[in-house]
Amino acid sequence: MKQDPMLSLLSATAQGDKAAFAKLYQASSKQLYAVSLKMLKRKELAEEALQEAYVRIWHNASQYRAGKGTVLTWMISIARYRALDILRYHSVRKEEPLTDNEVGVQTSSEPMTETQQGLLEKCMGALDVQQRQAIHLAYFNGMSHHEVTAHLDLPLGTIKSWIRRGLLSLQRCLKL
Amino acid sequence: MNYLNPDLYNALAAQYVLGTLRGPARRRFSRLIMQHSAISEAVNSWELYLNSLGEQLPDVAPDNDVWRKIEQRLGFIQAQKIASQVEPAPTSKFEPSNVVRIPEKKPRLWQALAGLASAAAVVLAVLLVQMQPAPISEVTQIAVINNQQADLLWSIEITDEEIAVRATKALQAKQGVDYELWIVPEDGNAPVSLGLLPKDGASTLVKPLVFEQINIAALAVSLEPLGGSPNGSPTEVLFTGKLVIL
Repeated sequence: MKQDPMLSLLSATAQGDKAAFAKLYQASSKQLYAVSLKMLKRKELAEEALQEAYVRIWHNASQYRAGKGTVLTWMISIARYRALDILRYHSVRKEEPLTDNEVGVQTSSEPMTETQQGLLEKCMGALDVQQRQAIHLAYFNGMSHHEVTAHLDLPLGTIKSWIRRGLLSLQRCLKL
Repeated sequence: MNYLNPDLYNALAAQYVLGTLRGPARRRFSRLIMQHSAISEAVNSWELYLNSLGEQLPDVAPDNDVWRKIEQRLGFIQAQKIASQVEPAPTSKFEPSNVVRIPEKKPRLWQALAGLASAAAVVLAVLLVQMQPAPISEVTQIAVINNQQADLLWSIEITDEEIAVRATKALQAKQGVDYELWIVPEDGNAPVSLGLLPKDGASTLVKPLVFEQINIAALAVSLEPLGGSPNGSPTEVLFTGKLVIL
């Protein structure tokens, strides 16, 4: 199996190695920033989420376990929680409406080497288009049920059930 | 509701990770994650799969400034250091006048003494620069955090740009825990984290934008596992303090 390239940087970070932490930031910040910017839209908020995420990564580096996915997935998870928190505090929503192109995220451009990614892609692909779209809006744009409802102009009950049933199908497909 | 039903907690775990579980339900669930290992494992599994979605987004490079702020926040570099690097002027003001006036034929002792004097002047100048508060911006608000015996534990100064915090000698920090500072919004919304408090000495916290945007009822300090709150909410609130506008 291929060694996770960020693992050695993270384990050195856990030992307090600041240079390794700087390298880890170099290697991962573009991806984490992409995730938080997509959710928060505003540069200053996305930067705030990014800062908070790396402060936590520095402190919690030793808590990473192999079972938590790749180091990058684990870090994205931390960044997304920070971004969700910030979304909660700033009920200010992005002003510009999202286009439908934005919703359909390109999944085939990057080669999938990790098994989780491959499996997730397969399972997401097996969902109804509507379910997948609703889950994408919630995941990438950090939208609540209400916001997805407003965006797709459909009743709240419909959206809730698409997301719930979509996640349930994913769960079965992923065998969680 | 029986949260230990796997169908239920799996469904909630998925919505927690996705972010569609919100409000009080989210706070309740984050407590359950801490209490039940089966629930925390379910959350882990969803994190592992759903967050691989995030890797599909095209890279976006953040400004270089962000890394500097992270270093500052973690105490790798200090705001004052940056300020004194910008102003090296005072040292050069003392040096030449001392050195130039010494006649060339004076005994070595004088030169040595003069050298010492100018070295002292440099030290003095550096000290003066360091003793002056960083000329970044004015303190606009202050707060103090006292314990139940009214001992001052932390003093907090808020400027336009940042939050400067100092721990006092009265603070007897416990091992293996961290203390986190929070904004308590007046409207009853969930507290907003400002970051970890120093256990001794001083540190600078980033002032979030929300600071200016909401009415603040108080600041609160919570007791947390190392690294801060695991779920974005204070674990155990220990102290609160009022903000005073200067």
